[in-house]
Amino acid sequence: MLSVDISKFLRADGPDKVTGSGRYSADISLTGMAHAKFLYAGVASARITTLDTAAAKAIPGVFAVLTQADVPDIRFGSVADRYLFAKDVVRFEGEVVAAVAAVDADTAQRAVDAIVFEYDALPVVNDIEAALEPDAPLVHEDWESYSARRIVMDRNIASQTILTLGDADAALADADLVIEGRYIADASHAAPIEPRGVVAQWEGDKVTIWTSSQVPFQARDGVCETLELPTNRVRIIVPHLGGGFGGKCGFHYEAHIAALARAARRPVRLVFSRREEFLAPDRRREGMIVELTTGLRSDGTIAARKARILLDYGAYSSDATFFPHMAAMHALGPYKIDNVYAESSAVYTNRQPSGSVRAPTAPQACWALETHTDELAAAVGMDPVAFRRLNGVDTGASGVSGQVFDAIGLQECITLATEDVGYGDVLPGDEAIGVAIGWWPSFPGASGAYVKLDSDGKGVIVTGAQECGTGAVMTLPYLVANELGMQPEDFELVYQDTSAAPYDVGATGSQTLLNNGIATIEASYQIASRLREIAASMLEAEADDIVLENGHAHVDGSPDTAIPIARLARRANHTGMLIGKGARIAPPDPKTSISAIGDQGVSSFAGPQFSCHAVRVKLDRDTGVARVLAVSAAHDSGTIVNPIGAAGQVEGGVLMGIGQALTERTEYDDKGRQVNPALLDYKLQTFADAPPISVQFVEVFTPDMGPHGAKAIAEAPNVATAAAISNALGKLVGLPMRELPMTSERVWRAIQAVGS
Amino acid sequence: MTESYTLTVNEVAYSIVADAQRSLLSVIRGEVGLTGTKEGCDDSECGACMVLVDGRPVNSCSYLAVQAQGRAITTIEGLASGDALHVLQRNMLEEGGVQCGFCTPGMIMSAHALLDQNPDATEEDIRLGLAGNLCRCTGYAGIMKAVVRTAREGLSTDS
Ligand code: FES
Ligand code: FES
Repeated sequence: MLSVDISKFLRADGPDKVTGSGRYSADISLTGMAHAKFLYAGVASARITTLDTAAAKAIPGVFAVLTQADVPDIRFGSVADRYLFAKDVVRFEGEVVAAVAAVDADTAQRAVDAIVFEYDALPVVNDIEAALEPDAPLVHEDWESYSARRIVMDRNIASQTILTLGDADAALADADLVIEGRYIADASHAAPIEPRGVVAQWEGDKVTIWTSSQVPFQARDGVCETLELPTNRVRIIVPHLGGGFGGKCGFHYEAHIAALARAARRPVRLVFSRREEFLAPDRRREGMIVELTTGLRSDGTIAARKARILLDYGAYSSDATFFPHMAAMHALGPYKIDNVYAESSAVYTNRQPSGSVRAPTAPQACWALETHTDELAAAVGMDPVAFRRLNGVDTGASGVSGQVFDAIGLQECITLATEDVGYGDVLPGDEAIGVAIGWWPSFPGASGAYVKLDSDGKGVIVTGAQECGTGAVMTLPYLVANELGMQPEDFELVYQDTSAAPYDVGATGSQTLLNNGIATIEASYQIASRLREIAASMLEAEADDIVLENGHAHVDGSPDTAIPIARLARRANHTGMLIGKGARIAPPDPKTSISAIGDQGVSSFAGPQFSCHAVRVKLDRDTGVARVLAVSAAHDSGTIVNPIGAAGQVEGGVLMGIGQALTERTEYDDKGRQVNPALLDYKLQTFADAPPISVQFVEVFTPDMGPHGAKAIAEAPNVATAAAISNALGKLVGLPMRELPMTSERVWRAIQAVGS
Repeated sequence: MTESYTLTVNEVAYSIVADAQRSLLSVIRGEVGLTGTKEGCDDSECGACMVLVDGRPVNSCSYLAVQAQGRAITTIEGLASGDALHVLQRNMLEEGGVQCGFCTPGMIMSAHALLDQNPDATEEDIRLGLAGNLCRCTGYAGIMKAVVRTAREGLSTDS
């Protein structure tokens, strides 16, 4: 492993964060800065009849009021189905209709209220099954004109994937037992504690935008596309980011605020309220209906599985076009099945758009599948853990897409988690243990970094990577120090600035350390080899024999004659500087044998991660209130580079999963509007709710993936928890759970149903 | 209506001229210019805005700034003395209690008030005492370790 001690990981951004000196987007204030407010549709589906901003513009202290008429007439999004501001129609309540910049927030709000916005209500598409009826109103009348390359669209179907391996119908007909189930998950939210902020300032024809983005390069590209600017005139800087969980992926409002600042001729700041954070961004964890049919052989093995999945896509395309494909993979699951068929469709509705929230589609689909799996085990009279052992994938096995797995640790995860939680122990009558398994890919992709050593031997890592709290970027100095025989504190980080650093995908897909770690190590190799050359000439040795250790260079075997790296660095200025660059190039995807219509590229799981979560749950049968007493989470995420950081991802992911399981639910009224856009009514798990979470890693060295044999980590812990809780509740209630979240009211109703 | 008054924040007196309806949070972040105190909800639901008023923890988003006249206000910026971190700050850092850091200032202020009141706080006391501070990142595990360790070491140890 690393030669530097990472067991006491001290994050370099930590002092800034614990002392309050750290700046987040809303903390940035510029001279002459104006304040932005948006006018939202407030109605889920309507045709605009009047949009008059004259009265708003006339209010003293108002610098600019913009609508779609004031910005380039450009449609964007993955199928180009939307504009920056509503044009002619509004399709969800949080759609931005107009934006104001004014001297202060109150004045901006008064101007928003003064905009004359009138409309004729249109029918609201508020139900994903009704949306598929032949006479259903269309969310997008013009869907056929959209640029849906590789994406299957049809009326209200925004994206569809059909997967076929073997012959599922024939295998079902031959099966000894066929079990069906239907599962319904509600929408939920990423809910980072920081509501987003955006600040834009023009200097000549160049704009700098500070924003709470997980994906600064994608945000930049969105600004460039919608405002028709070249990339080198738009600089995105992300100050500290107060969490994202996918909620701050994508391109959000940076262009609106840049356009406002240009029109206002002064810097402009937008800071979201919690309510806006719930209602407006094109990010929400989608609601889902999963129907599963599984054929079993009498020996307990799975002969075939069919899945039909509907996802609530919301009004516009963000990055969710791959969701049907990903949801299908999770509904089929990490099992050995030779015959599968999945038909999975994302359906347009007049609701907030869905977008990637931590392990998009996986927690809901895993919950459905793993609830179903306990039903399968019961049907063949097997213990549910033994059933998963028998049918779950293992090294050398072929999965549901025909991908044959190299060394993986799912079976060890099952062993560790179930032993740790005390599976099989005798429990009080109001307690039970539920177990679920999950999987999630790693996403190798493009990512770049520079490393330099200055003449005093201190270094700077300039990285395109984005830190969203996980500690992934903060781990980079450890990787570089490890290559150069130096200490992590010797390196400063320059990050989250699109004009300073090479490209990176951003804090999305758990890809930061996976890809940027490789890029950064590659950059440090170049510096290491320059240091070795310089040391070799000074020590009259071969460069290959030079060892970099403890801040010094010496000839292998002669540690007593060592030259400080700072001295080598001083010399380097005269002999060619110490500058390294690295770029991750993704390896080819593993092969599969499944056929896909509407292929979104996720039949193959590169660097597949596996997990088993086992939870002990206590149920109050009088009220339906469930309490999670303990969680054991075992993960195969390859080599663990940063144990504290990785454990923090599992702990946070599990608690988010408990929230998804029990309390987190976005409710809609019959007009497609959110009923509970506030933390009082949308309940996150508190300190008092949090059970002890025991974390274990099955460290399977995984070649050609992340640094030192690592796979990704941040999303995988958010996959199996809700499913495990469902299985514990299923045992306690005596009926499988069919709706997510499993609120006390729903559990209570299930208890009554069993009783009657 | 605009009011003029003095606020004492981290032992420094500030002359404030602001609307009487303004929250302590908005005056601390605005007029006083200390942005370590965060706004997560403006609705008493998240604890990110926690400060101490005469040593008592309050959600500053739901507390009128004028009411804090004549009282000692402590924010996250007032905890460390000089360059040394406060023991609670150091332990949050060393025990993995900090990820995105947005809940951290409020969490530290609440934990400070808790341990001040109850130096022998048990894990159960901590869970209940910090239930008003939401963290979305950590699952509270690292925070628990940091607060337990601070209770063991004592709130006034040098870090
Ligand atoms: S901002 Fe005050 S409690 Fe959330
Ligand atoms: S560290 Fe991110 S909310 Fe607590």
